[in-house]
Amino acid sequence: MSWIAFVWRNLSRNKLRSLLTGAAIALAIALVCFLATMPEGLNRLLDSVSANTRIVVHDEAGVAYDWLPYAYLEKIRAMRGVVGAVSWTWFGGAYQGKEGVTFPNMAVEPDAIGVVWADYKIDPAVLAEFKKRRDGALVGRDTMERYGWKPGDQVTLQSEGWGRLALTFTVVGEIPVQRSPHFWFQREYLEQALAARGWHMDSAQMIWLRVDDPARVDPLMREIDELFHNSEAHTASETEKSFFRSQFSALQGLALLITIVAALLAVCIVFIAANTASMTVRERMREIAILRAIGFSRRQVFGMLLAEATLLATLAGAIGAGASLGLSRLARAVAGGWNQQTGPLTWFIVTNTILVEGLFLAFFVGLISGIVPALGAARRGVVETLREVF
Amino acid sequence: MIQLEDVSRVYRRGADEVRALDHVSLSIERGRFVALMGPSGSGKSTLLHLLAGLDRPTAGRVMVADRVLNEMSDDELASFRAQHVGFIFQFFNLIPVLSARENVELPLLLTKLSKTERRERASTALRVVGLAERAEHMPSEMSGGEQQRVAIARAIVSDPEIVVADEPTGDLDAKNAVEILALLRDLRREFGKTVVMVTHDSRGEQFVDEIHHLDKGLLDRTVPGGGAA
Repeated sequence: MSWIAFVWRNLSRNKLRSLLTGAAIALAIALVCFLATMPEGLNRLLDSVSANTRIVVHDEAGVAYDWLPYAYLEKIRAMRGVVGAVSWTWFGGAYQGKEGVTFPNMAVEPDAIGVVWADYKIDPAVLAEFKKRRDGALVGRDTMERYGWKPGDQVTLQSEGWGRLALTFTVVGEIPVQRSPHFWFQREYLEQALAARGWHMDSAQMIWLRVDDPARVDPLMREIDELFHNSEAHTASETEKSFFRSQFSALQGLALLITIVAALLAVCIVFIAANTASMTVRERMREIAILRAIGFSRRQVFGMLLAEATLLATLAGAIGAGASLGLSRLARAVAGGWNQQTGPLTWFIVTNTILVEGLFLAFFVGLISGIVPALGAARRGVVETLREVF
Repeated sequence: MIQLEDVSRVYRRGADEVRALDHVSLSIERGRFVALMGPSGSGKSTLLHLLAGLDRPTAGRVMVADRVLNEMSDDELASFRAQHVGFIFQFFNLIPVLSARENVELPLLLTKLSKTERRERASTALRVVGLAERAEHMPSEMSGGEQQRVAIARAIVSDPEIVVADEPTGDLDAKNAVEILALLRDLRREFGKTVVMVTHDSRGEQFVDEIHHLDKGLLDRTVPGGGAA
């Protein structure tokens, strides 16, 4: 028999209690890991764009309020250091009309897509097809997988704005970024549809551009805003990270709330585990006295009791962390993917980091819950305990 | 082997003082089987605890196997007990989730022996007490007498010089009690152990070499036992 076998046997002395405590810890860790996917989704999005040399230019009042004159695009393209620029114009089309807008769909210029979003590594053949087909649509992988689309499929989107305009597109290929929800189509296609109704579109919601040198990002943003300072629409230029951070600023509050809830859950489970550890130690005072009498030192008794609490919690935590993978898969199937209200919070991706953090959390739950009862048991005098129990 | 020089043990309970032992001097030679007897509260268990290194005296000196126990720290006393003292208690006190062999192996976890060596030593100890065939049985599957034998095997597995027993027959029927007393006597005869036993059991007088009677914390008298013959 080894030390670890002795610790394991002690855990199995009251199987029901160990099972119930383990199940509580596993469930808590599963929930904590699952909840952690939500702020993690937001952080991943912000981290993924942090090194980009992409800038977004929108109206000073905000993206939702006023749009920019379309003429700004050519002026920005002509500025020093600008490698390429593309405008985004929100279409707001709903697919199949049932759920509202379930993925962002934008009118863009096809010629500079591959330059401005070079990091997306869109297949050049797909880009060429996108430029060729007026009704072509470039679709993000997340949206492609969600609806099971493939190149050649016809997709109709009905917009509540634009006079309830419905447009039918042909999917030409995907934007090969795992969590990309985008649906990009040619601006000219929208312009022609609006022209058929007697409308002329001469504005764009925002302009994305890429800079050749990271050192030029800040100066160029200032130059752009100064260029249009005396024009009809004042601009506000910001980095992609800053843009998404402000777009999801409300979500950051929600993400913080979720993090607090997860932390409170962890505290709850410490109390439950500590209660179990205390009960276990109390019931074993006679045995502990015997162990001390036969020569186990205070440190060894403390270590043994702490090892029991930590082993139980860590094993349960491993099961819980594993279960969170299933939980997140279920959530993705039911309500995952891009959502206009929740954005990256509902990606529900359990990363390796989350799994490892869940495991460490379980370990510390065991450590913290076991430390006080173990210390109390180890500190008691041998004779004092022998007199009490015999 | 064991020497107590003018030893006192005083417990303080608030303003009250309890003199569990009062200036007791006692010598126990190596290889003797000794009983400590007396009424409840006479200080028998206190004396046992002191010479076993479970407690320290308030005054006086306790020397066991050439070591002065007063001066040892808690860790040193634990180490001393692990190496030099085997314990037998009234209620057997086996770990219920461990088999007989694993219970006997328990003190060996404190040594540097390998798993195989621990297993072999435990098997040998069980053979000495006549329970080799019950090695894999759980305590719940054993009678009181068998459990106490396992406890004795646990007490001797690390080959201590001293075995202390606190009411080892207190929870046994007459037949088993006599068997256990005989086994303790054999530990002295065959293995040269020094055995110190606290007991109320008058049957023990026939097995021990000497009996020390205590009363109200004082050593009243010392008489030879039946085992000295």
